[in-house]
Amino acid sequence: MLSCRELAEQASQYLDKDLSLSQQLSVRMHLLMCRHCRRFIHQLRLGQQVIRQYPEPLDERLDELAKQLAERSSKQ
Amino acid sequence: MPYEADNRLLARLLKGEQPAFTELVKTYQSPMRAVAYAIVGASHADEIVQEAWLSVIRNLAKFEGRASLKTWLLTITANTAKSKLRQIRREVSLDSLPGGHDFNPDQRYADDGHWSSPPSHWEQDTPEALLSQEELRECLDKTLGSLSDVQKSVLMLRERQGLALEEICNLLDVSASNVRVLLHRARLKVFATLEHFEETGEC
Ligand SMILES: [Zn+2]
Repeated sequence: MLSCRELAEQASQYLDKDLSLSQQLSVRMHLLMCRHCRRFIHQLRLGQQVIRQYPEPLDERLDELAKQLAERSSKQ
Repeated sequence: MPYEADNRLLARLLKGEQPAFTELVKTYQSPMRAVAYAIVGASHADEIVQEAWLSVIRNLAKFEGRASLKTWLLTITANTAKSKLRQIRREVSLDSLPGGHDFNPDQRYADDGHWSSPPSHWEQDTPEALLSQEELRECLDKTLGSLSDVQKSVLMLRERQGLALEEICNLLDVSASNVRVLLHRARLKVFATLEHFEETGEC
C-alpha cells in the first residue's frame, strides 16, 4: 500500500498522467481512502490553474514588434 | 487538415496583413521567450527571441505545415538559442535559488509515511479567488523569481503552454528525468507558497 509520503513523490507524474497503469491504480486507491491526500492533489491542481491563469504583464512592445516584422516581410 | 487554423494565419501572414503579425507575436512571444530563457538565461533571452523572429520571417514561405506553427516557432527559437550557446555551455542545475517556500516532506510526514501535518482547508478555493489577492500575486512573483531559469521555463511551458514533457525535453535538451524533477519541485514550491499565504495571510 502506497504511503502518503510516497503518493506526494508521484503527485506530479499523476497530474501529468505520466505513471504506469499499476502506479496510477495504487494512487487512485489511496485517494479513495485518504482525504488528506485528496486535498493535497486538489490543492496542487489549484496551483497549476493559478500558474495557468496568472496575468501576464502586458507588453506594449509587442505591437511595435509586429509592425516591424510585417514591414520586413513585405520587403522580402 | 490537422493545422487548419495555422494555415489560415500563415496565408494572411504571407499576404502581409498587419493584424496577422500582431496575432502571431501576441500568441507566441511568450512561449518563445520561455524557451530562450531556459537555454541562454535571462540576460540573452530577449536578444535570442528577436533573432528568432527575424529568422521566422525569412523562412515563413518555407513553413510546410508538417508540424504545428507553435512547434515550428519554438524549434527555431531553440535552435537560435543553442547556436548562441556553444561557448557558454551551462550545466543544468537541479537546485533552485534560495527564497520562496519549500515543501519539506520531513516536516509533513510521520515516520510511517502518513501525514503528520496535513494540508489545511483554504478559504480561497478557486484560482480566481486566489489570484484576486494582490499580495498573493506578489508572493508568487517571489517564488517564481526563486526558480532557476530552466526550472521556470519548464513550469511555464508545461502549465501555461501545455507542452508535452517530451517536447520540453527536446526543446531544452534536458533529460526526461530532470524535467520531471524540476517540474515536481516547482509545483511543490507553488503549493507551499499558496498554503503559507492561506494560513498566515503573509508571504
Ligand atoms: Zn494519504
